[in-house]
Amino acid sequence: MAGFLINGVSKVYGGTTPTETLVDIDLTIEDGEFLSILGPSGCGKSTLLEILAGLQLPTSGEIWFEGKKLQGPGIERGVVFQDPSLYPWRTVMQNVELGLELRHKNKVERKLAAQKYLDMVGLQGFENKYPHHLSGGMKQRAGLARALANSPEVLLMDEPFGAVDHLTRLQLQDDLLRIWEAEKKTVVFVTHDVSEAVFLGDRVVLLSPRPGRINKIFRVPNKHPRKRDDIELLKIQNDIYAAIHEVKTQENLEFII
Amino acid sequence: MGNKTTAHYNWRMISGQIALLLLILGAIEYIVSAEIVGSLYLSRPTLVIKEIIRLFAEGEIFHHLSVTLWEFLVGYVLSAAAGIGTGMFLVLIPRAETFFKPFLSALLAVPKVTIIPMLMLWLGIGLSNKIAIVFLFCFFTIAFNTITGIKQTADNHLKVARVFEATKLQTIIKVILPSAAPTIFVALRLSAATGLVGALFGEMIASKDGLGNLLVQATSLYDTTKAFAIITIVTIVSVLIIALIDLFEKKIVLKWKSS
Repeated sequence: MAGFLINGVSKVYGGTTPTETLVDIDLTIEDGEFLSILGPSGCGKSTLLEILAGLQLPTSGEIWFEGKKLQGPGIERGVVFQDPSLYPWRTVMQNVELGLELRHKNKVERKLAAQKYLDMVGLQGFENKYPHHLSGGMKQRAGLARALANSPEVLLMDEPFGAVDHLTRLQLQDDLLRIWEAEKKTVVFVTHDVSEAVFLGDRVVLLSPRPGRINKIFRVPNKHPRKRDDIELLKIQNDIYAAIHEVKTQENLEFII
Repeated sequence: MGNKTTAHYNWRMISGQIALLLLILGAIEYIVSAEIVGSLYLSRPTLVIKEIIRLFAEGEIFHHLSVTLWEFLVGYVLSAAAGIGTGMFLVLIPRAETFFKPFLSALLAVPKVTIIPMLMLWLGIGLSNKIAIVFLFCFFTIAFNTITGIKQTADNHLKVARVFEATKLQTIIKVILPSAAPTIFVALRLSAATGLVGALFGEMIASKDGLGNLLVQATSLYDTTKAFAIITIVTIVSVLIIALIDLFEKKIVLKWKSS
């Protein structure tokens, strides 16, 4: 079961003035679920994602993945970064093959898998281009294909569409949902965009600003495919805006007192 | 359209440059043949060209050219291997850089030419002496640029490797070296020129053969034409070596940059 059990996770960054980034996160992520993690910048949502990826260790608390305590990165968890982080010295195809190459898969197998996912993300015809020839949206598609080519059970996505223009972003969201339905992966999707979080997610976890704690979890019951102007989705968005506003006023009060 | 204009512009530019070059050479030809400047100090370009042709036709140059090139090549390849290796060792072994940096900086600060007499004492005046000089002239630039290049590896690129569970060796070969390659190549190009200078300088101070030796022979016999012929040949060799490195860089190692 490709789910996570997050148990009392906190993260403090060391140094002369330690910074509390995440406080006491308890969360279960179900197998096959599309979970959005929503929060303002600096709330630690990317830190939480990196902890799930195994790139960072929590200061306290535990994370269980598939019934085992998480110790570090693993190929069953694919990561799509905010900055696509493609290797500029490799062609698009070679970038997508990277994970399989590191696991010593043979050339034919690598090519087949890479081609399959390049087609899936709509990059056919760009296999032999270098990343600097691609637009921002296409780079993100290549980053997604690179993660998928390794057949992970979970996709961890860190604001992947944050840097692309709005229209491209909508298209990328649709394509991501299509791929998610076809591939049946668990997806954890970090974003600071309320409508994106609601449109994509089965649940939306709202983190409060620094230090990040779970403010509230919203369930989005609507089946996919969803319509962006669905009245129920808009209502959930409004609830989320209200919750964000509440946190803000509380903060202000504390500040004034 | 645009291309045609650029081509036209380039053509005019190049013909202008050639005209200026011919003008300068013509002026020298004139002031030497009219004895405004004595033929001891300068030589007529036409004579220099004839001398170059003679050197190649009579085969005198080939032995010296091959000696110099061999000294350069061995010293250069050794210094590239050692420089890249040392740079990698210092960055990739924790705390190695902090520990060795003062020693390396001190060695870097020593003006290399002052070591040459010592090298003659230790290694004689033959091939190994010249190889050592070339090595000294090239090694530090390559080592320091390798360090800089490796440190510039993007954090995100390393994260990708970690997510894919790359081993340490895979990370070095597939991530760190390719991203350091452009910086290392800057050093390889720079030190190719200084390395050749090292070989020639070593030969000029003490040697039995080589282009530097030939040049000193020519000047001590006041054969100005031959001296300029050798200077021209050496310059062409230097340009060719750098062109070769550029070609290697653009077509093989950094194909992604030029395309």
